[in-house]
Amino acid sequence: MNMPRFFRSKFFKDILNKLLGKNKVLKIGFYGHPNSGKTTLANRMTTDWIGKPIGTISPVPHETRRVYRQEHVTVKDDGVELNFDIIDTPGIATKIDYTNFLEYGLSEEEAKERAKEATKGIIEAIKWLDDVTGVLLVIDATEDPLTQANITIMGNLEARNIPFIIVANKIDLEDATPEKINSVFPQHTVVPISALNGDNTNLLYRKMVDKFK
Amino acid sequence: MSETNSPDTETTGLKMDFLSSSALNSQTSMEKISMIVDRVKKGDLVVIEGGLTPEEEAELIETTMREIDIENFMGIDIYTLEKDKTSFFGLSRKKTIGITIIGPANVMKEVKKKSNFLSMIANLGDSDAPVH
Repeated sequence: MNMPRFFRSKFFKDILNKLLGKNKVLKIGFYGHPNSGKTTLANRMTTDWIGKPIGTISPVPHETRRVYRQEHVTVKDDGVELNFDIIDTPGIATKIDYTNFLEYGLSEEEAKERAKEATKGIIEAIKWLDDVTGVLLVIDATEDPLTQANITIMGNLEARNIPFIIVANKIDLEDATPEKINSVFPQHTVVPISALNGDNTNLLYRKMVDKFK
Repeated sequence: MSETNSPDTETTGLKMDFLSSSALNSQTSMEKISMIVDRVKKGDLVVIEGGLTPEEEAELIETTMREIDIENFMGIDIYTLEKDKTSFFGLSRKKTIGITIIGPANVMKEVKKKSNFLSMIANLGDSDAPVH
């Protein structure tokens, strides 16, 4: 074997890069309760940086019922670039009551089908915890942040050493209390934003570059 | 907590299972999760000493989602009460889980919760029973 040529080959370089972790893609998962604004935030981010949304949004909970992946998103802050894939996940809940969807005008059949899809989506979201390398935990700032779903998600991120930012969303609403989220999670990075209006998203992008770069 | 009426009348009761940490320590995570979900699916409230690990909590949610059948079992509610734990010769304090309460979805109503206090009313159909 011609050793010098071998070490110059693409084959060898690819293996070396893999061993050194240089080919690892940063996969940032968007996690949280149903209706916390994960897809709205993902749409805001992809629209800001690549010009198109990732998914549909709706006031009906569990609109996102499967994981959507948008590859090659680049966020820039002060000359520094962060390249990553967005992993938009279904909202995690411990229970699904199909009758809750009826008040939004769905038929019983549609509501039951939505509930079944939502359960599968939650299973998929939990499985993706094995693969994400960073997380934005999106919390509705008008709701109690100390729910079992949020506690379970954070516990798993800490146990797996996955860096994460808590996004206190919906600060455009009158009854939003992002400071409550700050006081409940003083040890974590909390960024208050409105994904709907884009308020404070520049700060979120800056914190993402700091946390995930 | 549980009332059993005479055989001639309809039984309206809430069965609560209290499990100490030693009863659970001998079980694998999957055995624990299966035991909890089986009991909760039957309509029982399960109260366990201590808590589940984050991975077990995630597995519990995942297993619950697989067991949901929309009309008969809609999932679970979970509540935890914390306790302070001193360590390192009493120089540091951290919170640990004291007890964990897991029940069928929407049975535990009007829950008032702080980190070390929980008060709830259990929905027994036509009547409600307080649990503190």
